[in-house]
Amino acid sequence: MDIDDLLAEVTADAVPQETRDLQELTRCWVAERVAPELLVWPESLMERVLARVRSQIELVEEQTGNMDPKTNFKLIIIQTELERFKFLVRSFLRTRIAKIDTHPLHTLHLHTSQPTLLSPSELSYLTAHHALLSNHYASSFLSQFPASLQKLDDTTGGISMIDSPDEHKAVFVRCLRDVGVVRVDGTEREFEMRRGDVWVVRWSAVRQWVVGGDCELI
Amino acid sequence: MYGEIGNKLVQHAKRTQALPHLPPYQTEMVRAATREVRDLDKDVAAILEPFAGSFNPSSEPATACSLLVNHLCMRRNKRCLLAYHRVRADKLEEMCWSGIDVLERQQQQQTSKNIGDGTTSMAGEGVNSSSLSPEEEEYVRQYSDLLAAYKGQWTDIDLTGSLEPPKDLFIDVRVLKDAGEIQTEYGAITLSKNSQFFVRQGDVERLIAQGYLQRLS
Repeated sequence: MDIDDLLAEVTADAVPQETRDLQELTRCWVAERVAPELLVWPESLMERVLARVRSQIELVEEQTGNMDPKTNFKLIIIQTELERFKFLVRSFLRTRIAKIDTHPLHTLHLHTSQPTLLSPSELSYLTAHHALLSNHYASSFLSQFPASLQKLDDTTGGISMIDSPDEHKAVFVRCLRDVGVVRVDGTEREFEMRRGDVWVVRWSAVRQWVVGGDCELI
Repeated sequence: MYGEIGNKLVQHAKRTQALPHLPPYQTEMVRAATREVRDLDKDVAAILEPFAGSFNPSSEPATACSLLVNHLCMRRNKRCLLAYHRVRADKLEEMCWSGIDVLERQQQQQTSKNIGDGTTSMAGEGVNSSSLSPEEEEYVRQYSDLLAAYKGQWTDIDLTGSLEPPKDLFIDVRVLKDAGEIQTEYGAITLSKNSQFFVRQGDVERLIAQGYLQRLS
Protein backbone atom coordinates (compact mmCIF):
# COMPACT_ATOMS: atom_id res chain seq x y z
CA MET A 1 0.00 0.00 0.00
CA ASP A 2 1.50 3.34 -0.95
CA ILE A 3 0.38 6.94 -0.74
CA ASP A 4 -1.80 6.67 -3.87
CA ASP A 5 -3.87 3.91 -2.36
CA LEU A 6 -4.30 5.85 0.85
CA LEU A 7 -5.41 8.91 -1.06
CA ALA A 8 -7.79 6.83 -3.13
CA GLU A 9 -9.41 5.45 0.01
CA VAL A 10 -9.85 8.88 1.55
CA THR A 11 -11.52 10.29 -1.54
CA ALA A 12 -13.73 7.23 -1.87
CA ASP A 13 -15.10 7.78 1.63
CA ALA A 14 -15.79 11.42 0.93
CA VAL A 15 -18.10 10.57 -1.93
CA PRO A 16 -21.62 9.69 -0.76
CA GLN A 17 -22.97 6.18 -1.17
CA GLU A 18 -25.50 7.31 -3.80
CA THR A 19 -22.84 8.65 -6.13
CA ARG A 20 -20.72 5.57 -5.67
CA ASP A 21 -23.71 3.38 -6.48
CA LEU A 22 -24.29 5.29 -9.66
CA GLN A 23 -20.64 4.86 -10.59
CA GLU A 24 -20.81 1.19 -9.79
CA LEU A 25 -24.03 0.71 -11.76
CA THR A 26 -22.55 2.47 -14.77
CA ARG A 27 -19.43 0.35 -14.47
CA CYS A 28 -21.50 -2.85 -14.23
CA TRP A 29 -23.54 -1.79 -17.23
CA VAL A 30 -20.51 -1.04 -19.39
CA ALA A 31 -18.78 -4.23 -18.30
CA GLU A 32 -21.83 -6.36 -18.98
CA ARG A 33 -22.20 -4.88 -22.43
CA VAL A 34 -18.54 -5.37 -23.31
CA ALA A 35 -17.64 -8.67 -21.69
CA PRO A 36 -18.25 -11.71 -23.88
CA GLU A 37 -19.63 -13.80 -21.01
CA LEU A 38 -22.23 -13.24 -18.34
CA LEU A 39 -20.93 -11.53 -15.19
CA VAL A 40 -22.04 -12.12 -11.63
CA TRP A 41 -25.36 -10.54 -10.62
CA PRO A 42 -24.65 -7.50 -8.39
CA GLU A 43 -27.26 -8.37 -5.77
CA SER A 44 -26.77 -5.70 -3.10
CA LEU A 45 -26.12 -2.91 -5.59
CA MET A 46 -29.30 -3.67 -7.50
CA GLU A 47 -31.30 -3.79 -4.28
CA ARG A 48 -30.06 -0.34 -3.27
CA VAL A 49 -30.64 1.15 -6.70
CA LEU A 50 -34.14 -0.28 -7.02
CA ALA A 51 -35.09 0.89 -3.54
CA ARG A 52 -33.96 4.38 -4.42
CA VAL A 53 -35.82 4.36 -7.73
CA ARG A 54 -38.95 3.32 -5.86
CA SER A 55 -38.61 6.06 -3.25
CA GLN A 56 -38.04 8.69 -5.95
CA ILE A 57 -41.14 7.56 -7.82
CA GLU A 58 -43.12 7.88 -4.60
CA LEU A 59 -41.71 11.34 -4.03
CA VAL A 60 -42.70 12.39 -7.53
CA GLU A 61 -46.20 11.01 -7.11
CA GLU A 62 -46.60 12.75 -3.77
CA GLN A 63 -45.58 16.17 -5.01
CA THR A 64 -47.27 16.17 -8.42
CA GLY A 65 -50.29 18.08 -7.17
CA ASN A 66 -48.06 20.86 -5.92
CA MET A 67 -48.30 23.81 -8.27
CA ASP A 68 -45.49 25.85 -6.76
CA PRO A 69 -43.08 26.56 -9.68
CA LYS A 70 -40.06 25.80 -7.51
CA THR A 71 -41.13 22.25 -6.62
CA ASN A 72 -42.30 21.78 -10.16
CA PHE A 73 -38.83 22.51 -11.44
CA LYS A 74 -37.29 20.26 -8.83
CA LEU A 75 -39.65 17.49 -9.88
CA ILE A 76 -38.55 17.78 -13.49
CA ILE A 77 -34.96 17.33 -12.45
CA ILE A 78 -35.84 14.34 -10.29
CA GLN A 79 -37.82 12.78 -13.11
CA THR A 80 -35.04 13.30 -15.61
CA GLU A 81 -32.63 11.62 -13.24
CA LEU A 82 -35.14 8.86 -12.69
CA GLU A 83 -35.49 8.24 -16.42
CA ARG A 84 -31.73 7.97 -16.73
CA PHE A 85 -31.51 5.51 -13.87
CA LYS A 86 -34.31 3.47 -15.34
CA PHE A 87 -32.55 3.41 -18.67
CA LEU A 88 -29.33 2.13 -17.08
CA VAL A 89 -31.10 -0.64 -15.20
CA ARG A 90 -33.24 -1.56 -18.19
CA SER A 91 -30.34 -1.74 -20.59
CA PHE A 92 -28.32 -3.71 -18.04
CA LEU A 93 -31.09 -6.27 -17.54
CA ARG A 94 -31.78 -6.58 -21.24
CA THR A 95 -28.10 -7.19 -21.98
CA ARG A 96 -28.05 -9.98 -19.43
CA ILE A 97 -31.22 -11.53 -20.82
CA ALA A 98 -29.78 -11.39 -24.33
CA LYS A 99 -26.66 -13.23 -23.15
CA ILE A 100 -28.71 -15.77 -21.23
CA ASP A 101 -30.82 -16.44 -24.31
CA THR A 102 -27.81 -16.92 -26.58
CA HIS A 103 -26.18 -19.54 -24.38
CA PRO A 104 -28.95 -21.05 -22.26
CA LEU A 105 -27.41 -24.43 -21.46
CA HIS A 106 -23.94 -23.05 -20.92
CA THR A 107 -25.31 -20.48 -18.49
CA LEU A 108 -27.36 -23.09 -16.69
CA HIS A 109 -24.29 -25.30 -16.20
CA LEU A 110 -22.25 -22.36 -14.95
CA HIS A 111 -24.98 -21.36 -12.54
CA THR A 112 -24.97 -24.75 -10.84
CA SER A 113 -21.30 -24.35 -9.96
CA GLN A 114 -21.59 -20.63 -9.24
CA PRO A 115 -24.99 -19.89 -7.70
CA THR A 116 -24.49 -16.11 -7.52
CA LEU A 117 -24.25 -15.77 -11.30
CA LEU A 118 -27.95 -15.23 -11.90
CA SER A 119 -30.63 -13.47 -9.93
CA PRO A 120 -33.53 -15.73 -8.86
CA SER A 121 -35.86 -14.21 -11.43
CA GLU A 122 -33.29 -14.62 -14.19
CA LEU A 123 -32.87 -18.25 -13.23
CA SER A 124 -36.59 -18.89 -13.39
CA TYR A 125 -36.75 -17.08 -16.73
CA LEU A 126 -33.88 -19.16 -18.07
CA THR A 127 -35.32 -22.50 -16.98
CA ALA A 128 -38.80 -21.63 -18.20
CA HIS A 129 -37.52 -20.36 -21.53
CA HIS A 130 -35.32 -23.36 -22.07
CA ALA A 131 -38.18 -25.72 -21.28
CA LEU A 132 -40.33 -23.83 -23.78
CA LEU A 133 -37.71 -24.06 -26.50
CA SER A 134 -37.08 -27.77 -26.02
CA ASN A 135 -40.81 -28.38 -26.05
CA HIS A 136 -41.09 -26.41 -29.24
CA TYR A 137 -38.30 -28.39 -30.91
CA ALA A 138 -39.76 -31.65 -29.70
CA SER A 139 -43.25 -30.96 -30.96
CA SER A 140 -41.99 -29.54 -34.26
CA PHE A 141 -39.68 -32.34 -35.30
CA LEU A 142 -37.41 -33.77 -32.65
CA SER A 143 -39.92 -36.24 -31.23
CA GLN A 144 -39.89 -38.10 -34.54
CA PHE A 145 -36.14 -38.56 -34.46
CA PRO A 146 -34.47 -41.78 -33.37
CA ALA A 147 -34.12 -41.77 -29.59
CA SER A 148 -30.33 -41.52 -29.70
CA LEU A 149 -30.55 -38.22 -31.57
CA GLN A 150 -33.14 -36.48 -29.45
CA LYS A 151 -30.80 -34.90 -26.95
CA LEU A 152 -30.09 -31.19 -26.99
CA ASP A 153 -26.87 -31.38 -24.98
CA ASP A 154 -25.20 -34.18 -26.88
CA THR A 155 -21.41 -34.20 -26.65
CA THR A 156 -20.63 -37.43 -28.54
CA GLY A 157 -18.78 -37.36 -31.82
CA GLY A 158 -16.26 -34.81 -30.60
CA ILE A 159 -18.56 -31.80 -30.99
CA SER A 160 -20.52 -30.46 -28.07
CA MET A 161 -23.97 -29.17 -28.85
CA ILE A 162 -23.68 -26.61 -26.09
CA ASP A 163 -22.55 -23.28 -27.42
CA SER A 164 -20.38 -21.19 -25.16
CA PRO A 165 -19.27 -17.58 -25.52
CA ASP A 166 -15.92 -16.76 -27.09
CA GLU A 167 -13.68 -16.11 -24.11
CA HIS A 168 -10.79 -14.98 -26.28
CA LYS A 169 -12.61 -11.96 -27.62
CA ALA A 170 -10.60 -8.76 -27.38
CA VAL A 171 -11.76 -6.19 -24.85
CA PHE A 172 -10.61 -2.73 -23.84
CA VAL A 173 -9.57 -2.46 -20.21
CA ARG A 174 -8.43 0.39 -18.06
CA CYS A 175 -6.19 -0.45 -15.16
CA LEU A 176 -7.36 0.97 -11.81
CA ARG A 177 -4.58 -0.44 -9.66
CA ASP A 178 -1.13 -1.80 -10.48
CA VAL A 179 -1.62 -5.39 -11.55
CA GLY A 180 1.88 -6.42 -12.54
CA VAL A 181 2.84 -8.75 -15.35
CA VAL A 182 0.00 -10.28 -17.33
CA ARG A 183 0.57 -13.35 -19.48
CA VAL A 184 -1.70 -14.15 -22.39
CA ASP A 185 -2.34 -17.89 -22.47
CA GLY A 186 -1.36 -19.72 -25.61
CA THR A 187 0.92 -16.96 -26.81
CA GLU A 188 4.36 -15.70 -25.88
CA ARG A 189 3.01 -12.28 -25.02
CA GLU A 190 3.69 -10.73 -21.65
CA PHE A 191 3.17 -7.17 -20.56
CA GLU A 192 2.99 -5.11 -17.44
CA MET A 193 -0.23 -3.34 -16.50
CA ARG A 194 0.13 -0.19 -14.45
CA ARG A 195 -2.47 2.04 -12.97
CA GLY A 196 -4.12 4.26 -15.59
CA ASP A 197 -3.03 2.09 -18.53
CA VAL A 198 -5.49 1.19 -21.25
CA TRP A 199 -5.00 -2.10 -23.07
CA VAL A 200 -6.72 -4.18 -25.70
CA VAL A 201 -6.43 -7.74 -24.46
CA ARG A 202 -8.14 -11.06 -24.66
CA TRP A 203 -10.94 -11.28 -22.14
CA SER A 204 -9.61 -14.60 -20.82
CA ALA A 205 -6.28 -12.98 -19.93
CA VAL A 206 -7.66 -10.15 -17.80
CA ARG A 207 -10.89 -11.66 -16.50
CA GLN A 208 -9.61 -12.27 -12.96
CA TRP A 209 -8.61 -8.62 -12.48
CA VAL A 210 -11.82 -7.25 -13.90
CA VAL A 211 -13.85 -9.47 -11.60
CA GLY A 212 -11.62 -8.50 -8.69
CA GLY A 213 -12.11 -4.81 -9.45
CA ASP A 214 -8.47 -4.01 -10.30
CA CYS A 215 -9.39 -3.23 -13.91
CA GLU A 216 -12.50 -1.90 -15.56
CA LEU A 217 -13.85 -2.60 -19.01
CA ILE A 218 -14.43 0.37 -21.24
CA MET B 1 -29.07 -36.28 -52.29
CA TYR B 2 -28.32 -36.51 -48.59
CA GLY B 3 -28.57 -33.25 -46.74
CA GLU B 4 -29.97 -31.24 -49.61
CA ILE B 5 -33.17 -30.40 -47.77
CA GLY B 6 -31.19 -29.44 -44.70
CA ASN B 7 -29.18 -27.06 -46.79
CA LYS B 8 -32.33 -25.48 -48.17
CA LEU B 9 -33.69 -25.03 -44.68
CA VAL B 10 -30.53 -23.26 -43.58
CA GLN B 11 -30.71 -20.98 -46.59
CA HIS B 12 -34.28 -20.18 -45.62
CA ALA B 13 -33.18 -19.40 -42.11
CA LYS B 14 -30.42 -17.15 -43.40
CA ARG B 15 -32.89 -15.25 -45.53
CA THR B 16 -35.33 -14.99 -42.63
CA GLN B 17 -32.72 -13.19 -40.55
CA ALA B 18 -32.63 -10.28 -42.98
CA LEU B 19 -36.38 -10.02 -43.49
CA PRO B 20 -38.55 -7.65 -41.47
CA HIS B 21 -41.41 -10.16 -41.31
CA LEU B 22 -41.59 -13.89 -40.85
CA PRO B 23 -41.93 -15.93 -44.07
CA PRO B 24 -44.28 -18.95 -44.08
CA TYR B 25 -43.20 -22.01 -42.15
CA GLN B 26 -41.75 -24.67 -44.45
CA THR B 27 -43.83 -27.58 -43.21
CA GLU B 28 -43.00 -29.76 -46.19
CA MET B 29 -39.25 -29.32 -45.93
CA VAL B 30 -39.20 -29.90 -42.18
CA ARG B 31 -41.17 -33.07 -42.70
CA ALA B 32 -38.91 -34.22 -45.53
CA ALA B 33 -35.76 -33.61 -43.49
CA THR B 34 -37.24 -35.54 -40.57
CA ARG B 35 -38.21 -38.35 -42.88
CA GLU B 36 -34.68 -38.46 -44.26
CA VAL B 37 -33.32 -38.88 -40.76
CA ARG B 38 -35.71 -41.72 -40.05
CA ASP B 39 -34.82 -43.46 -43.32
CA LEU B 40 -31.14 -43.11 -42.63
CA ASP B 41 -31.66 -44.53 -39.18
CA LYS B 42 -33.44 -47.52 -40.73
CA ASP B 43 -30.55 -47.93 -43.16
CA VAL B 44 -28.08 -47.96 -40.31
CA ALA B 45 -30.12 -50.59 -38.49
CA ALA B 46 -30.33 -52.67 -41.68
CA ILE B 47 -26.58 -52.47 -42.27
CA LEU B 48 -25.81 -53.44 -38.71
CA GLU B 49 -28.33 -56.27 -38.55
CA PRO B 50 -26.23 -59.11 -40.09
CA PHE B 51 -23.40 -58.36 -37.66
CA ALA B 52 -25.65 -58.97 -34.62
CA GLY B 53 -23.91 -56.47 -32.39
CA SER B 54 -20.36 -57.69 -33.06
CA PHE B 55 -19.40 -55.13 -35.70
CA ASN B 56 -15.69 -54.42 -36.01
CA PRO B 57 -14.98 -51.24 -38.02
CA SER B 58 -11.37 -52.14 -38.86
CA SER B 59 -12.26 -55.44 -40.51
CA GLU B 60 -15.00 -53.89 -42.70
CA PRO B 61 -13.78 -50.43 -43.67
CA ALA B 62 -16.36 -50.00 -46.47
CA THR B 63 -19.36 -50.68 -44.22
CA ALA B 64 -17.86 -48.55 -41.48
CA CYS B 65 -17.51 -45.69 -43.93
CA SER B 66 -21.13 -45.83 -45.09
CA LEU B 67 -22.26 -45.99 -41.47
CA LEU B 68 -20.22 -42.93 -40.67
CA VAL B 69 -21.67 -41.02 -43.61
CA ASN B 70 -25.19 -41.97 -42.53
CA HIS B 71 -24.51 -40.87 -38.97
CA LEU B 72 -23.04 -37.57 -40.02
CA CYS B 73 -25.96 -36.88 -42.34
CA MET B 74 -28.43 -37.48 -39.53
CA ARG B 75 -26.55 -35.16 -37.23
CA ARG B 76 -26.29 -32.54 -39.90
CA ASN B 77 -30.00 -32.66 -40.61
CA LYS B 78 -30.66 -32.29 -36.92
CA ARG B 79 -28.44 -29.23 -36.75
CA CYS B 80 -30.11 -27.70 -39.79
CA LEU B 81 -33.56 -28.26 -38.32
CA LEU B 82 -32.51 -26.85 -34.97
CA ALA B 83 -30.99 -23.81 -36.61
CA TYR B 84 -34.07 -23.20 -38.72
CA HIS B 85 -36.41 -23.38 -35.76
CA ARG B 86 -34.13 -21.33 -33.54
CA VAL B 87 -33.89 -18.49 -36.04
CA ARG B 88 -37.66 -18.35 -36.32
CA ALA B 89 -38.13 -18.58 -32.58
CA ASP B 90 -35.63 -15.75 -32.07
CA LYS B 91 -37.53 -13.65 -34.55
CA LEU B 92 -40.79 -14.30 -32.75
CA GLU B 93 -39.22 -13.47 -29.39
CA GLU B 94 -37.91 -10.22 -30.80
CA MET B 95 -41.44 -9.33 -31.86
CA CYS B 96 -42.72 -10.16 -28.38
CA TRP B 97 -40.12 -7.85 -26.85
CA SER B 98 -40.92 -4.97 -29.15
CA GLY B 99 -44.59 -5.24 -28.22
CA ILE B 100 -45.96 -6.55 -31.50
CA ASP B 101 -48.85 -8.91 -31.00
CA VAL B 102 -47.77 -11.62 -33.41
CA LEU B 103 -50.91 -13.71 -33.22
CA GLU B 104 -53.21 -10.77 -33.73
CA ARG B 105 -51.21 -9.65 -36.72
CA GLN B 106 -51.45 -13.14 -38.18
CA GLN B 107 -55.21 -12.99 -37.97
CA GLN B 108 -55.28 -9.54 -39.53
CA GLN B 109 -53.15 -10.74 -42.42
CA GLN B 110 -55.44 -13.64 -42.97
CA THR B 111 -58.62 -11.60 -42.94
CA SER B 112 -57.16 -8.93 -45.21
CA LYS B 113 -56.08 -11.63 -47.62
CA ASN B 114 -59.55 -13.12 -47.50
CA ILE B 115 -61.09 -9.77 -48.33
CA GLY B 116 -58.58 -9.20 -51.12
CA ASP B 117 -59.25 -12.59 -52.61
CA GLY B 118 -62.97 -11.96 -52.46
CA THR B 119 -64.93 -14.77 -53.99
CA THR B 120 -61.89 -16.84 -54.89
CA SER B 121 -61.05 -17.42 -51.23
CA MET B 122 -62.66 -20.85 -51.36
CA ALA B 123 -60.10 -22.07 -53.86
CA GLY B 124 -57.17 -20.32 -52.17
CA GLU B 125 -57.79 -21.82 -48.74
CA GLY B 126 -54.35 -23.41 -48.61
CA VAL B 127 -52.59 -20.16 -49.50
CA ASN B 128 -54.28 -18.31 -46.68
CA SER B 129 -52.82 -20.49 -43.97
CA SER B 130 -50.82 -18.74 -41.29
CA SER B 131 -47.09 -18.21 -41.79
CA LEU B 132 -46.59 -19.73 -38.34
CA SER B 133 -46.79 -23.41 -37.63
CA PRO B 134 -49.28 -24.42 -34.92
CA GLU B 135 -46.31 -25.24 -32.68
CA GLU B 136 -44.90 -21.78 -33.20
CA GLU B 137 -48.22 -20.17 -32.34
CA GLU B 138 -48.24 -22.11 -29.12
CA TYR B 139 -44.65 -21.10 -28.48
CA VAL B 140 -45.42 -17.41 -28.97
CA ARG B 141 -48.37 -17.65 -26.61
CA GLN B 142 -46.28 -19.24 -23.89
CA TYR B 143 -43.32 -16.97 -24.43
CA SER B 144 -45.44 -13.84 -24.08
CA ASP B 145 -46.73 -15.21 -20.79
CA LEU B 146 -43.18 -15.87 -19.65
CA LEU B 147 -42.07 -12.42 -20.72
CA ALA B 148 -45.01 -10.81 -18.95
CA ALA B 149 -44.13 -12.74 -15.80
CA TYR B 150 -40.50 -11.65 -15.93
CA LYS B 151 -41.44 -8.07 -16.72
CA GLY B 152 -43.90 -8.06 -13.84
CA GLN B 153 -41.00 -8.26 -11.43
CA TRP B 154 -39.56 -5.01 -12.77
CA THR B 155 -42.62 -2.79 -12.91
CA ASP B 156 -40.67 0.32 -11.92
CA ILE B 157 -38.22 -0.08 -14.77
CA ASP B 158 -40.48 -1.04 -17.71
CA LEU B 159 -38.20 -3.58 -19.32
CA THR B 160 -39.62 -3.28 -22.82
CA GLY B 161 -39.09 0.47 -22.82
CA SER B 162 -36.77 2.30 -25.14
CA LEU B 163 -33.14 1.21 -25.29
CA GLU B 164 -32.04 4.64 -26.47
CA PRO B 165 -30.48 6.70 -23.69
CA PRO B 166 -33.05 9.33 -22.66
CA LYS B 167 -32.09 12.91 -23.44
CA ASP B 168 -35.22 14.89 -22.68
CA LEU B 169 -37.99 14.32 -20.22
CA PHE B 170 -40.53 15.92 -22.53
CA ILE B 171 -40.77 15.42 -26.26
CA ASP B 172 -42.82 16.73 -29.16
CA VAL B 173 -45.08 14.15 -30.76
CA ARG B 174 -47.52 14.18 -33.61
CA VAL B 175 -50.56 11.91 -33.59
CA LEU B 176 -50.76 9.65 -36.64
CA LYS B 177 -53.82 7.65 -35.66
CA ASP B 178 -56.62 8.38 -33.21
CA ALA B 179 -55.56 6.88 -29.93
CA GLY B 180 -58.29 8.04 -27.61
CA GLU B 181 -57.66 9.60 -24.25
CA ILE B 182 -54.59 8.94 -22.13
CA GLN B 183 -54.01 9.79 -18.48
CA THR B 184 -50.89 11.68 -17.54
CA GLU B 185 -49.96 13.29 -14.28
CA TYR B 186 -50.85 16.66 -15.78
CA GLY B 187 -54.35 15.53 -16.58
CA ALA B 188 -55.95 13.70 -19.47
CA ILE B 189 -54.99 14.33 -23.08
CA THR B 190 -57.17 13.39 -26.02
CA LEU B 191 -55.01 12.18 -28.86
CA SER B 192 -56.83 12.96 -32.07
CA LYS B 193 -55.28 12.56 -35.47
CA ASN B 194 -52.87 15.23 -36.79
CA SER B 195 -52.65 17.10 -33.49
CA GLN B 196 -49.34 17.83 -31.86
CA PHE B 197 -48.38 17.58 -28.19
CA PHE B 198 -45.52 18.28 -25.86
CA VAL B 199 -45.65 15.34 -23.45
CA ARG B 200 -43.55 13.29 -21.07
CA GLN B 201 -41.66 10.62 -22.97
CA GLY B 202 -42.43 7.89 -20.45
CA ASP B 203 -46.16 8.43 -20.88
CA VAL B 204 -46.24 7.94 -24.63
CA GLU B 205 -43.39 5.49 -25.28
CA ARG B 206 -45.73 2.57 -25.85
CA LEU B 207 -47.87 4.56 -28.27
CA ILE B 208 -44.83 5.53 -30.30
CA ALA B 209 -43.76 1.89 -30.50
CA GLN B 210 -47.24 0.89 -31.60
CA GLY B 211 -47.25 3.51 -34.35
CA TYR B 212 -49.95 5.81 -33.00
CA LEU B 213 -47.58 8.68 -32.43
CA GLN B 214 -44.56 10.00 -34.23
CA ARG B 215 -41.71 11.65 -32.43
CA LEU B 216 -40.67 15.04 -33.79
CA SER B 217 -37.07 15.96 -33.38
